[in-house]
Amino acid sequence: MSDQLWGWSSTLVTLADSPVLAIALTLGAFQTGRWVFHRLGSPIWAPPVLLSAMVLSALLALLAIDFRDYRSGAQWLTVLLGPATVALAVPLYQQMHHIRALWRPILCTLPLAATLAAVYAIVIAGLLGASPQVLASLAPKSVTAPIAIGITAQLGGSVSLMMGGLLITGVMATLFVEVLARSLAVSDERVLGFALGLNGHAIGTARAFDLGPTAGAFASLGMGLTGVFTALILPLAFRLLGAWTGG
Amino acid sequence: MVMLRGFLVLSAFFVFGELLRLLLALPISGGVLGMILLTVVLMARGTVSDSLAAASESLISVLVLLIMPGVVGVFFLGDAFDGQWLAVGVALVVGTFLSVLTTLWLMSRFTRPPTGKRSRE
Repeated sequence: MSDQLWGWSSTLVTLADSPVLAIALTLGAFQTGRWVFHRLGSPIWAPPVLLSAMVLSALLALLAIDFRDYRSGAQWLTVLLGPATVALAVPLYQQMHHIRALWRPILCTLPLAATLAAVYAIVIAGLLGASPQVLASLAPKSVTAPIAIGITAQLGGSVSLMMGGLLITGVMATLFVEVLARSLAVSDERVLGFALGLNGHAIGTARAFDLGPTAGAFASLGMGLTGVFTALILPLAFRLLGAWTGG
Repeated sequence: MVMLRGFLVLSAFFVFGELLRLLLALPISGGVLGMILLTVVLMARGTVSDSLAAASESLISVLVLLIMPGVVGVFFLGDAFDGQWLAVGVALVVGTFLSVLTTLWLMSRFTRPPTGKRSRE
């Protein structure tokens, strides 16, 4: 019995050395998460990415696979994030013509709102005593994940903490857009979509497509523009701030 | 084969973005630089090829899969950020509330109601 157990665990260790196990586990968790999401009736509060991540962490704990071993194997998947980020140019280009219809409000809103999305979080967390690493992880909280990973790496934050913040922000933004739209009496699909994409990245955009194709289009636009704007501004702002406070 | 040609375009723009980042010492990731370059090229050309559309669509549809290794790490942070969770939680919830409020307020201030059809309730 114990021989069998020993054989099993050493087999797992050998398997864990190759990236195949990490990739298969990720794929399996991804499919399971999507399945659970549909079974639950597509709830806003539990996006597929959260459900898949919960399945995956349970699998890792169950199989006693060290997270660092998993991560080094899964790097083969993460390599594709670069080209996937570039791929976001296609939907951004396809939604670009909507700017013409609404260029004034977008031009007036985007730079200020995207900057404030980061500033609010940094100021609040800073006042409550968060460390510089936590601030760097929270700053890109409204940016779509592939772009946010690049920003966090530049700022010196923790990618995992940032991802957690991103998830909560996406869910909260979807919730607050619905609540505030009612109390501010905003019913324009274009405005609601843009607000969902700007604040709630991919999670907000998925919700916007539920409202209608117009809201979805403006959410994609808001998400893409916020990502590009924040990726250009935030690292430079942090560099200036660091030079200034660091003396 | 068609999709692979699109994938080649995406990889080429990514490599070019990385090259720019390294050569100019920019604090912006190569993926974002490649994305901006590709957007500019597409706007100048005014069209997206079928292969590029197919490749980008399939990569974007599996984005959740690609970010999963990063997301799952949140369950393995351990005590790395002990004592800071209140700051993180309040910043995320209150910060998001304020930024949604700002966006909706600014947008509806500058937007005139859609002409022609009224939006649905």
